[in-house]
Amino acid sequence: MDELVKKANWLRLQVLKTAKKTGGKGSHLGGTFSCIELLVSLYFGGILKFDPSNPKWSDRYRFLVGKGHVHLALFHIWADLGFIDNSILDSYGKNGSLLGQQLNISIPGSEYNTGSLGHVIGIGAGMALAAKLNKKKYYTISLVGDAECDEGSIWESVMFAGKNKLNNLITIVDRNRMSVMEIIEEDKSSGRLEEKFEACGWNSKTINGHSFEEILSCLSDLEGLKKPLVILADTIKGKGVSFMENDVSWHSGIPSNAEFNLALKELKGNYQ
Amino acid sequence: MKKKTVDFRNAFFDSFYNIASKNNDIIFLTADTDADSLVKFREKHHERFINTGVTEQNAVTVASGLALSGKKVFIYSMVPFITMRCYEQIKIDICSMKLPITLIGLGAGLSYSYYGPAGHGVIDIAIMRALPEITIFNPSDPISASAFAAMAYNNSSPTYVRLHKGSTPKIYKDNESFADGFKIHKEGSDCCIISTGIMVHRALEVANELKAHSIDASVIDLYRIKPINVNLLLDNLVDYKKIVTVEENTFIGGIGSLICEILIDNQCHIPTKRIAIKDEQCFSYGDLDWLHKKYKLDVNSIVDRIIAF
Repeated sequence: MDELVKKANWLRLQVLKTAKKTGGKGSHLGGTFSCIELLVSLYFGGILKFDPSNPKWSDRYRFLVGKGHVHLALFHIWADLGFIDNSILDSYGKNGSLLGQQLNISIPGSEYNTGSLGHVIGIGAGMALAAKLNKKKYYTISLVGDAECDEGSIWESVMFAGKNKLNNLITIVDRNRMSVMEIIEEDKSSGRLEEKFEACGWNSKTINGHSFEEILSCLSDLEGLKKPLVILADTIKGKGVSFMENDVSWHSGIPSNAEFNLALKELKGNYQ
Repeated sequence: MKKKTVDFRNAFFDSFYNIASKNNDIIFLTADTDADSLVKFREKHHERFINTGVTEQNAVTVASGLALSGKKVFIYSMVPFITMRCYEQIKIDICSMKLPITLIGLGAGLSYSYYGPAGHGVIDIAIMRALPEITIFNPSDPISASAFAAMAYNNSSPTYVRLHKGSTPKIYKDNESFADGFKIHKEGSDCCIISTGIMVHRALEVANELKAHSIDASVIDLYRIKPINVNLLLDNLVDYKKIVTVEENTFIGGIGSLICEILIDNQCHIPTKRIAIKDEQCFSYGDLDWLHKKYKLDVNSIVDRIIAF
């Protein structure tokens, strides 16, 4: 567990440094920091099965990101694991780079062309359905934002997956309760996400999305699922840097030099 | 004697059945749109026939997930719903990844004649041909409809087939090749009428009528809307004095537009007249012939317009 905590801190530092270095090229620190523990659990906590030397290995777990805005975290993870060379990572933000501010399938490790919200539960449902038709054991896991769940297409696919009992499909909602512009109080306006998913034939689990223990405990044993599973991961937008936490302006903000040094100090403090 | 007619759905889905019965990787998704000729496949291969419910966006996205996992997918719904309702999904989830998925739209042109604009397929060509990766087939008879099921299957990238809701006689022979992208049905020397879909039958009648007015017209069926076989088409057009396009789409973005684009881009300045549907949403209700007459797409109106051109 300590290793995962270290990895999370390392990842936040890398993302911060790249964002600062390339500022304004599309980095989204707030919503990236809110799902760092989720991404680290998936890739370094033994949840996802993958082979960096064979990214299209047919039995790999499929991991789809709806909020492709978290690309910087994934680029660093993929470089660390060997999916992409460091030289490719270093080209981020430069003209002609393979890496832009969203994901696309020409990047080893990426399963889907992101950029528009509300698609990946349906893409995942198709992959999960294909697994059943092909008698494959892989799981398909997607990560979406809570603001993303406003998209109507999400609910078309949630109903489809529930109806077809796709018990090999998992969706994680990074519930940081902030969109680009607003604080999201879904409970007041339209009912809780747990209830909505369950009404459509899913199981739901609610966890602290920054607790490795809680994340790993609900993702480690997927065998007994009878229905698709949604994990509502309660998170903090901007998590890890005190002045970025729960502040809408850090959705896509780039720190000034002073802010950068302060953030660096806080994260390095955690790292040691 | 009246010629035998065949429903486009029967032609397409019978051909689909023969192909899909031999390949277990073919999946059929319908967004709750049915056809008599689908029953056989649904009953024999129920595990590969999935009704997604009335969810076109989801249907396209699920198809993408299936295709990313090695499946060949056909998706079926009415023309406006399988194109406009889920356009972004088509752009990103199918086209941007060049996936082997075929969209089958029912109700090309005004063939849902009593439905009103929500059911009419008169602007889908305009938007679908803006997608760089897609192949668009627009069959004009049961033989071409049947052939396009096979050609869609053999295409390794996205395909859109728009089907007339109804039947027509055959204008192609059974073993016709559709490799060229268009077919010259009748050769004349004065003007060339380019049409597509069921309007090709109308164009042939028009050409026949024009003889009485000493106009010798050719008729071309542009059955592949994208990609256009530009060089071969231009080779066949350069010697005409006039070109007329006839289509059951609005003036904006259909085959009249694309022919003009090709002519201009290639400095081929042949006088061209576009005959199409007025730029409006049609809230007039009646049968297809009546609607065609309203929009001056009946034989007499077209003949008069070509004589006046």
